[in-house]
Order: sequence, then structure tokens, then C-alpha cells
Amino acid sequence: MTEEQNIQTPIIELNGVTKEYSSKKNFLSKGETNIIALNNISLAIQKKEIFGLVGQSGSGKTTIGRLLVKLEEPTKGIIKLNGKPTNKLKGKALKHYRSKVQMIFQDPYQSLNPHLSIAETIIEPLVVNKIGNALTRRDKVLETLEIAGLSPGEDFFHRYPHQLSGGQRQRVAVARAIILDPDFIVADEPTSMLDATIAIQLFQLLLDIRKKFKMTFLFITHNLAAARYLCDRIAVIHNGVIVETGSADKVIKDPQHPYTKKLILAQPGFNFKN
Amino acid sequence: MALLKVENLSVGYKSKKGMVNAVNNISFSIEQGRSLGFVGESGCGKTTIGMTLMGLLPENASILKGDIIFNGNNLASFNDEKWRAFRGKEISMIFQAAMNALNPVIRVDEQIAEVIQIHNPAMSKSDVSNQVKKIFSLVEIPEDRLRDFPHQYSGGMKQRAIIAMALACAPKLIIADEPTTALDVIVQDQILKEIKKIQKALNTSVIFISHDIAVVADVCKDICVMYGGHIVEKGTREEVFKSPRHPYTKTLLGSYLTLDSYEDINVPEIREAPDLITMTGGCRFSANCNCKSQKCQCQTPEWVNLSSTHQALCFEELLNKDKND
Ligand SMILES: Nc1ncnc2c1ncn2[C@@H]1O[C@H](COP(=O)(O)OP(=O)(O)O)[C@@H](O)[C@H]1O
Ligand SMILES: Nc1ncnc2c1ncn2[C@@H]1O[C@H](COP(=O)(O)OP(=O)(O)O)[C@@H](O)[C@H]1O
Ligand SMILES: [Mg+2]
Ligand SMILES: [Mg+2]
Repeated sequence: MTEEQNIQTPIIELNGVTKEYSSKKNFLSKGETNIIALNNISLAIQKKEIFGLVGQSGSGKTTIGRLLVKLEEPTKGIIKLNGKPTNKLKGKALKHYRSKVQMIFQDPYQSLNPHLSIAETIIEPLVVNKIGNALTRRDKVLETLEIAGLSPGEDFFHRYPHQLSGGQRQRVAVARAIILDPDFIVADEPTSMLDATIAIQLFQLLLDIRKKFKMTFLFITHNLAAARYLCDRIAVIHNGVIVETGSADKVIKDPQHPYTKKLILAQPGFNFKN
Repeated sequence: MALLKVENLSVGYKSKKGMVNAVNNISFSIEQGRSLGFVGESGCGKTTIGMTLMGLLPENASILKGDIIFNGNNLASFNDEKWRAFRGKEISMIFQAAMNALNPVIRVDEQIAEVIQIHNPAMSKSDVSNQVKKIFSLVEIPEDRLRDFPHQYSGGMKQRAIIAMALACAPKLIIADEPTTALDVIVQDQILKEIKKIQKALNTSVIFISHDIAVVADVCKDICVMYGGHIVEKGTREEVFKSPRHPYTKTLLGSYLTLDSYEDINVPEIREAPDLITMTGGCRFSANCNCKSQKCQCQTPEWVNLSSTHQALCFEELLNKDKND
């Protein structure tokens, strides 16, 4: 990171964010216990950065994503967008925030509405935000499909999610996420259901979009190799606590926290020792 | 003699648009105590092979040709009755997404005891219970968790219970279909170690199926790479992963990210999966292959021997051309 970037206001900032859920312990006992999904999380993500959030399942990754796109509010702490606190936004301000921060979900088979055609899926954000007219919207959708690598766009316009492969569905999700020209995109394990040859193409697409539109990403994954390939910096999260943050190279080559070391050792490779 | 020898097996699914040639003319064998990995992208036919070996193909599927010789029996000609006596006892399978298949209202130990009783009706209650305990200790589930219900288990423990169930009748061959795909890396690592340990301890043969090449490479000494219903390359894991020869194997390896290989990654072109209904002749990878040869599109390639254990389904001149590049 250069000096210049360091003094810029981060695009996204989490200050001491905690998220608790109340939950019945199990169906036999009536008492409620609190699950601390996130415990005092602080993070700053710079413009144009792809920031990786790495950890095993249940560590709190998706919860951070959900807080960032305001599907939920933190129990404690502050989330800032471009330096401005965003807690408890309402009405117009909330709508504006939601257009600036988008999310791509893990499961391409569940995240798209099966009853909407691809065109309807991608156009929806434009309609909700009253952008353009029927004609300009159509052009915008076609253009966005092409950017997302679904080319020619016309071929996909009237198709439905079940007619697409997993990789194509994730491209539709990408198209929907970028159509409003957001500042920030949360990509929650976007390739964990995809084959390697398809996943690497989607990573390339994210890198292209970052370059073309100066977009900033939070990339959520349990795959350290993917994080190293894609990310500038990564944070390792364990049980709702960030245990290590640093440049992707540094964290993987020279991990400090025992949990990071454990995660690295568990990555499958081609060592043929056994 | 090989424990299992599959020869020229083809399996198809009837569909409205025509026959889906999901598995096409494949041959392989596995010795007692060995581990054989099938790797390839989703839709290439891996699960179809597993289901064929278990006699569990759905109504619309059939074996179009070939033999499946297991311990002297030809499974390809088994009827329902023969399958019932055989399935789960001689060969058992860990199904894809099996974790959700544990019965939620029956205690875990009872579910495993049931499998043992079905195949060993004469076994006494105390023998069954001892067998259950033995298997649980093998998969390292603590004895005080035996009486739990499935929802009280973590994802990793559920998968151990599923493995325990596959081991219940001490089968000669276990087929594991994507057993760790739903798990994260740390739990996956534990389960893979478990499978290797059990395989050594019991001298069981394992057919391990995954789309994840590093996972297959971790567990299996012998590898079959599949594409579009064909096996396209086979060999030891060193041969297939350290000196891949088939263009598809190279593509697969070239796009796979590991902690060391993240720099020299090749991003393949956007590719269409082969149409398993219309494609009958020719190499199924031809549309996506860099060789750009006309020959591959109409002529079915043949096995090229690269060593006594290493083979690729391609044309010799194209394999060599590629090598000289
Ligand atoms: N709506 C919810 N109610 C109760 N607990 C939840 C809820 N959402 C998430 N959790 C809990 O919070 C923790 C973190 O979950 P999550 O953020 O989904 O993890 P990850 O995405 O890393 O797998 C888990 O223990 C999970 O069970
Ligand atoms: N019940 C079925 N009916 C029709 N086609 C099927 C059926 N099951 C699988 N197929 C097709 O057979 C091919 C191989 O599928 P499968 O063996 O499940 O592949 P894999 O396990 O490698 O992902 C795919 O093209 C799939 O669409
Ligand atoms: Mg998650
Ligand atoms: Mg499968």
C-alpha cells in the first residue's frame, strides 16, 4: 500500500462491530443463550482494494456481509461508508446506501429468483431506483450482460436461471450487482459451488471489473489459495474475532496466529507424502 | 486378480430430447486395498459410475453395454434380488450430500446398528452393539456421543457417522462421492485423514470421487480423469498430476489454485459443456481444446500408452505435438 492510499478515507470501515443473536440452546431447554457471531470487529477497506475475509464455516463471514449490505444492523459498533456512519439509515438514505453496496451470494442456485427471466433479474435494481426508461434500461442490461461475460447479451435476455450453468448464474449475479455502478461489492464465497476452471474465470471477471470501474470488493472465502490469487489484503476470522490482518502474501508466507497456520496446513495440495 | 474390473461400460439416461450418454465406454480396475480417484467437473459422469456400481441407477437409466466384474460376479447382469443381498455388504457408498440423509429422529448408533442387522440377521444384539462401538472408535466419534441424535452433531461428526455407516458391514470396496465437498478446509482435512487411516487399517479398496483435484490427489494413488462421460487420462497420481498429457488434464491443473501455484495460472476460455445427447463420435473435449484439429471432431481418439500405468485418450501425433510446443 502506498503512502497516498494510506491517508485516503477508507471506503468501508467497521469500528468495534459486534453482532449477537439470541437463540434457544436446543429444543429440550427453554432458556435462551446469546450467540456472539461477531465480536468487536474493526476493519478498513481502501478504494479499489480486493479485501479477503478468510475463515472456516460458522466463523462469522456471512454475518459481516449481511451487516455491510444492511440486511441487518450491528448490535454494537459503527459501520462507515466513505467516512460517514451508516447505522440505522432510513428511507431515501437507506435506499441510496443499498444502491452503493451490493452483494453476490454463495449459492447461484438459490440466490436468483427462478420466476424472473435474466433480463428481469438484472433490470430490477434500475426499476427500483427509477433509473432510465424502458429503452435505456434495455441497453444498459445488454451492456452489463456483455461486461459480465454473457455474450451476446440478447441470447441471455429471455432465459431463466434454471437454463443456465452455475458459472453463468454467478455472472448474472455479478451483472445485477454492478448495474447501479456501486462503490462496493461483497462477494460471499461466489465460487465455492463451481468447478475450478469456471471459478478461475469468475475471478478474472472480478479482477476486470475492479480495473474497469475502480470497484472495491470484500471477497469472502474459506479457500486461502483463492484469497491469495485475488486479494490485496486479507483478514483471518475465527469464532467472530479477527485474528490476523495483512497483505495476502505476508499472511500466507509468514502467518503469525496459530489459527492461520492451522488453516494453511489444512489446504489440500499435491504433496504426495502419505 | 483385480477386486473390480470394469470393461467398456456405457450408461445412458433416457430423456425427452434423446439418450444422454453420461458414461461412455470406460474401463478401469482396482485391486484390493488400493485407492482409485475419479476427478472431473460436474456433469462428467462421476456419480453415474458410483450409482452403477451400487445398482442404484434411477428408472430412466440403463447400462448400455459393458461388464462389471466384482470378485468373479458380473454386476451388470444382477437382478434386484441379487443387488439387495450385495449392496452395502460387499460394496458400500458414501453419497454426495449424505450428511443430510441421516434420519433426524433416530439416534445415530441405532441407525448404524440397523444397517448391520439387515445384512447379518443372525448376529446377536450384543455382537451388533460391539460392532457399532468398534466402528465408532474407528471413525473417532467419542463413545458418549453414540446415543445422540444427528442434529447434536457438527458437520464433521455427521460425515464421520456417514462413514461409519458405510463401514458397518466391513465392505471390500467403499465408493466415496464428494464426501468433503460440503465441509470447510479444516474439517475436510480431518475427514480425508480419517478415510486414509481406515483404508490402511482395514485394507479396504476405495473409489474416491471429487471435482477437486487436490483432494483426489491427497487420497488416491491411482487417478482417472473424466471429461464428458469419457475417461481421458489414467495413471498414478504422480504421472497424472506431475506430468499430465491430455489437454483437458492440463487445463484442469492449469486453472487450479494452490498456495504455491497461484502465480502461473491459466484462465481457460469460456467453455460450453459437451452435449451428451448429440455428441456420439469424436473427442468430447475437441470444442474446447487448443489443438484445433479437425480430426478430433469426427474421429474418436484411442488410448495412447505413455508408460505401463499411464494412458491418455487422444491422438498420438497431437499429444506429441503438444509436448514439443
Ligand atoms: N440469524 C441467525 N440467528 C442465529 N444465529 C445466527 C444467525 N446467523 C448466523 N448465526 C450464527 O452466527 C455464526 C456465524 O455465522 P455466519 O456468519 O453465517 O458464518 P460463516 O459465513 O463464516 O459460515 C454462526 O455460529 C451462526 O450459527
Ligand atoms: N436422472 C437423470 N436423468 C437424465 N440425465 C441425468 C440424470 N442424472 C444425471 N444425468 C446427466 O448425466 C450426466 C452425468 O451426471 P453425473 O453422473 O451426476 O455427473 P457428476 O457426478 O460428474 O457431476 C450429466 O449430464 C447429467 O445431467
Ligand atoms: Mg457463509
Ligand atoms: Mg456427482
